[in-house]
Amino acid sequence: MKLTALRLHNVRRFAGRGVAVEGIGDGVNVLCAANEVGKSTCFDALHALFFQPHTGTPGAVQGLRPYSGGNPLVEADILTGAGAFRLTKQFYGGKRASVRELASGRLLAQADEAERFIANLVQGGTAGPAGLLWVRQGVTGIERRAKSDEEGEKRARESVLTSVQGEVESLTGGRRMAQALAACEAELAPLVTATGRPKAGGPYALAIEERDALAQLEQKLSGELRELRDALDRRRSLRARLAELDDAERHATLLREVAQAEAALAAARAHGEALRRAEVEAALARNAREAAREALDTLRRDLARLALLREREAQSRSHRDEALARQRAANEAGLAAATAVERAEAQEREARDLLARLDKAMRAREAGDKLARLRQEHERAAEGRGEIETIEAELKALRLPAGALARLEALESELVGLRATAAARRPLLRVAYDPGVAAAIRLDGVTLEDGEERTLSGAASLVIQGVGQLAITLPQGGDGEADLARAEARRSTLLAELAVPDLAEARRREGAARELNGRLDLARQRLRLLAPDGLPALQAQIARLEAQGAGAGEAEGDPEALRARLAETEGRVVAARRAQSEAQAARDGANAAVVETERGLAGVASEQAGLAAALGPAPARDGLEAQRTAALAQAEQGWLVAQAQRDALQAGAVDIPGAEAKLRRMRSVLDGASAEIASLREEAAELNGRIRARADAAVEEAWQEAAEKLGASQRRVAALEREVALLTRLRTALEAARAQARDHYFAPVMTELRPLLGLLFEDATVTFDEETLLPRTVSRNGLEEPVGVLSGGMREQLAVLTRLAFARLLAKDGQPAPVILDDALVYSDDDRIERMFDALHRQASGQQIIVFSCRQRAFAQLGGTILRMVPWVPEG
Amino acid sequence: MFRFLHSSDLHIGKRFGTMPEELRGRLREARHTVLDRLAAQAREGAAQTVLLAGDSFDTETPSPAMLRQALAAMAGHALLRWVILPGNHDSLLADELWSSARVALPANVVLAVEPAPIEVAPGVVILPAPCTTRRPGRDLTDWMDRAATPEGALRIGLAHGAIQSFSEDGGDLDIITPDRASRAGLDYLALGDWHGQMPIGPRSWYSGAPEPDRFKHDQPGRALLVSLAGPGAVPAVTPVETGSFDWRSLALDLLSGDDGAAALTQRLPASPARRQTLLRILASGRLRPQARAGLDAAIAAVAPEFAFLQLDADALATDCESDDLDAIDRAGALRQAADALLTESLDEARSATERQAAGDALVRLFSYCAAMPS
Repeated sequence: MKLTALRLHNVRRFAGRGVAVEGIGDGVNVLCAANEVGKSTCFDALHALFFQPHTGTPGAVQGLRPYSGGNPLVEADILTGAGAFRLTKQFYGGKRASVRELASGRLLAQADEAERFIANLVQGGTAGPAGLLWVRQGVTGIERRAKSDEEGEKRARESVLTSVQGEVESLTGGRRMAQALAACEAELAPLVTATGRPKAGGPYALAIEERDALAQLEQKLSGELRELRDALDRRRSLRARLAELDDAERHATLLREVAQAEAALAAARAHGEALRRAEVEAALARNAREAAREALDTLRRDLARLALLREREAQSRSHRDEALARQRAANEAGLAAATAVERAEAQEREARDLLARLDKAMRAREAGDKLARLRQEHERAAEGRGEIETIEAELKALRLPAGALARLEALESELVGLRATAAARRPLLRVAYDPGVAAAIRLDGVTLEDGEERTLSGAASLVIQGVGQLAITLPQGGDGEADLARAEARRSTLLAELAVPDLAEARRREGAARELNGRLDLARQRLRLLAPDGLPALQAQIARLEAQGAGAGEAEGDPEALRARLAETEGRVVAARRAQSEAQAARDGANAAVVETERGLAGVASEQAGLAAALGPAPARDGLEAQRTAALAQAEQGWLVAQAQRDALQAGAVDIPGAEAKLRRMRSVLDGASAEIASLREEAAELNGRIRARADAAVEEAWQEAAEKLGASQRRVAALEREVALLTRLRTALEAARAQARDHYFAPVMTELRPLLGLLFEDATVTFDEETLLPRTVSRNGLEEPVGVLSGGMREQLAVLTRLAFARLLAKDGQPAPVILDDALVYSDDDRIERMFDALHRQASGQQIIVFSCRQRAFAQLGGTILRMVPWVPEG
Repeated sequence: MFRFLHSSDLHIGKRFGTMPEELRGRLREARHTVLDRLAAQAREGAAQTVLLAGDSFDTETPSPAMLRQALAAMAGHALLRWVILPGNHDSLLADELWSSARVALPANVVLAVEPAPIEVAPGVVILPAPCTTRRPGRDLTDWMDRAATPEGALRIGLAHGAIQSFSEDGGDLDIITPDRASRAGLDYLALGDWHGQMPIGPRSWYSGAPEPDRFKHDQPGRALLVSLAGPGAVPAVTPVETGSFDWRSLALDLLSGDDGAAALTQRLPASPARRQTLLRILASGRLRPQARAGLDAAIAAVAPEFAFLQLDADALATDCESDDLDAIDRAGALRQAADALLTESLDEARSATERQAAGDALVRLFSYCAAMPS
């Protein structure tokens, strides 16, 4: 079917007048006019002509009537395979419908027959395939539309597809498929989300939650059960232990054992004490035995010693007597030697005097030198004197307490010796004047007569008339009573000060003192040689020499002969002095021997006296030994007894630390038992509480229940998992099958649509929705988008192209129908509109397309037949 | 003549956690009221003694209410003497249970908690072998051989445990010698532990549970009424019904062409008994999808009448042929989907889970299509 002309009268804005669009050709026809010219009126009128019965006044018809009223008239010329016809419909007043053959003007049908003729042309009204091809302004899927319109269009599309592809139902499973899918979804939806996760609040999620909760509960209860069983076990063992501990017999045994341990410890301690005492007594007995033995030994030693001392006393006495005899002889010899010395010295003095006199003159000559020499000598003499004084000081020091200390033991015998020798050592002085000389010597101011004997004591000074003074010094200590008295005094003093005397030290000091005495002697002799008359004399001599130096005298004689004589006399003096010294040494030796023997004798005697005193009177001595022997035997016996006692105790010694440890252990066992009972009872009470609480809650039953519930829940979750797997699998299978079927179903329209799409969009593919039979998604550049999110322009373009595709399907099916677009491209830009028109022209070969548009400029360039509205007055 | 009722394995307090909530209360209640039914049977059989051979309580720590109510129920039957033996579930380790029981012990209840003779009536001596622990690991009835009883007295052993290694708990260390009755000169050995009733010899019986608690034995709850004419006489043992609920397994072995629903309906117990019946249908063999769907539907239809109805169809396979698929659709997408699922369910290359899911999906699709108005 093709439209060739459209005329209307008294329609809407054309009240009381008419308008016609003539010359509608094949291909694209464009009616381009400004708004409010009446394009949509034309569209609606044409639509009403084809789809509204002339007898009715539905909304679509009412919309055609002008405000002023009147009867709308619509007329169209069409060309079909059967020829050209004119269709006329008038609504409301004078309503009519007619079909005339255009060529002849013959009326072919009127009223209902005309309606049937028209209905055959459009096959099924708005729901028929032709209805599909009307595209009004905005009917592009953008605005919401009346449901009936949607349904109608859908059915139109369906009919097209069905006519080319068969029943969609049979292909896609249709309702049954939808029902099956819906049932599957209905079962699956409560279980899982779209992504396949358990749906919150759904049975699956709840089952999982329940299972997890039960698992937790089961664990908790199993823990509590374990705790309860542990507590029961523990209480059982506690009770057993308590019964054991609480046992009276056991307690009594324990107490008895403690008492026994205490007794054992006391016994051990007593034994230990006894042993210590026995040990002390044994030690004492041993000491007593030692003392007795010592006493006996001492007694025996003393007796032996006494016997020995008696022998020694006799020996000592004879030794002393011999020594005394030797002393007397030595004294005689000493006296002779002294006499010889005096004589030799007198001769020597004589010679010296002679020489001196001679020398005086000589010395006077050498006064200066001599004087100097004398002064030198004086100096040396002073030194000598200093030395003497030093030695004397040393000697004095030696004699002081150390000597007394050393000689304490010896003093006894020394005194004896001193007493014995006092008389013997008193020197005798006897003067034998030369003939013609008398009373020339004075001793201590008393003139000595010839042959007179005088005893000397201490120092004596002899004044020899015409000769000079002779000083005699006797050896120290050799003097009688005074020494004796001093020694006794010293002894008593020292005895009072010191307990033990040192004989060896005394001797050493004695010897040293003697040596010092020797040295003193020599020093004095040296001094005497240097200053024979003493230092004052030497000084006087010096003074004299000084005086002599003034008036020197003359002397005679042969100095050499005099010197020889002097030398000879000096030699004699020296020899005599040596002899005297030897005699003196002999005397010293004799004296010493006397002293020694006296001392030995005194020692023996005193020891003997001491021992005798200690031993007591002689007759009792034998008794004493017997007595001591007996005492020793007794002490020995006592010691043996004490020893045996101690050994016995030692052998039976008890281990005190062991006994203490045992007592401690027994006590701790007893205390520990009490403490354990208390703590066990406490723990048992605590356990009782816990067990009661758990048992009251019937935890075992609860656990068993929870475990069983958990098992059931796990099975339920597994069943649900299986259910989900099943349903998911089913849904997948159904959807896959349906998609496959749908693709197959939509294949023809896709074949038509694809080249059209290619004109607008490169590389675009479309999927169709099974429900609406409209494009559902568009894929471009690998990106699939639902139609709903596309731009308005693209959506209207897609809608138009889809209709064109369906139109082509219809044409191929032998039912060509015009595609009428009423301002369908409002969102499209000019470029797209151009491309759309390319598509339209391409499509228009064998296809009539009528485009109403207000976009005059844009559509003016598009080519195609340009239509115009012209005034029209209906015939008759 | 001495008559007594022999029962065991009451498992009072069992919770039945796997059962639906509303049924659990009834099952628990039935375990409690079985005491009354035992008492009734004892009275009817002129027995004055009831021996409970262990597992009277399900756990070692039943709730105090449970214990006291059980004892009160026994006390309520004052003319009967109840002898309770600790079993493996309520062994002597459950000292809390037994001490609580001792505290509230009614005069007509005896706790056989020591292996020592109990004279329950003149000339009638019970020799109990109480379980010391859950698994004693030895034959506790050993002592009965040496147990001295008065001359001419009846010797009745009371024990709990396995005779062979078919114990309810699968233990096998503590097996009771099967010939204990003859060894120990027992007139009767009352055994507990096995929930099904079973004689071990003329003088040894498992009484079975008086109120069943599992599908395993497929027997009604029963006890034994035992009459002993005198020492040495063979006991007269009569089973008596005491169960309230019936636990039944129904094996349906089906062939591919069978009508599962019809086969089931024929074999279902009578309607009035269904409320007290727990039924487990063990379906095996093969069914066509429609028949399978029919079986499911039949089960779903009848299930509410039962206390519990469960289909175990793990051993039931579904056979599909082209006729079956026609029931879904002869062509089109639905048929294609069904074909794909069938192929997948038979595809050995796929995992069992996948095949299972595909097969299940196919059966489900059948059920959908069957439900659609044609």
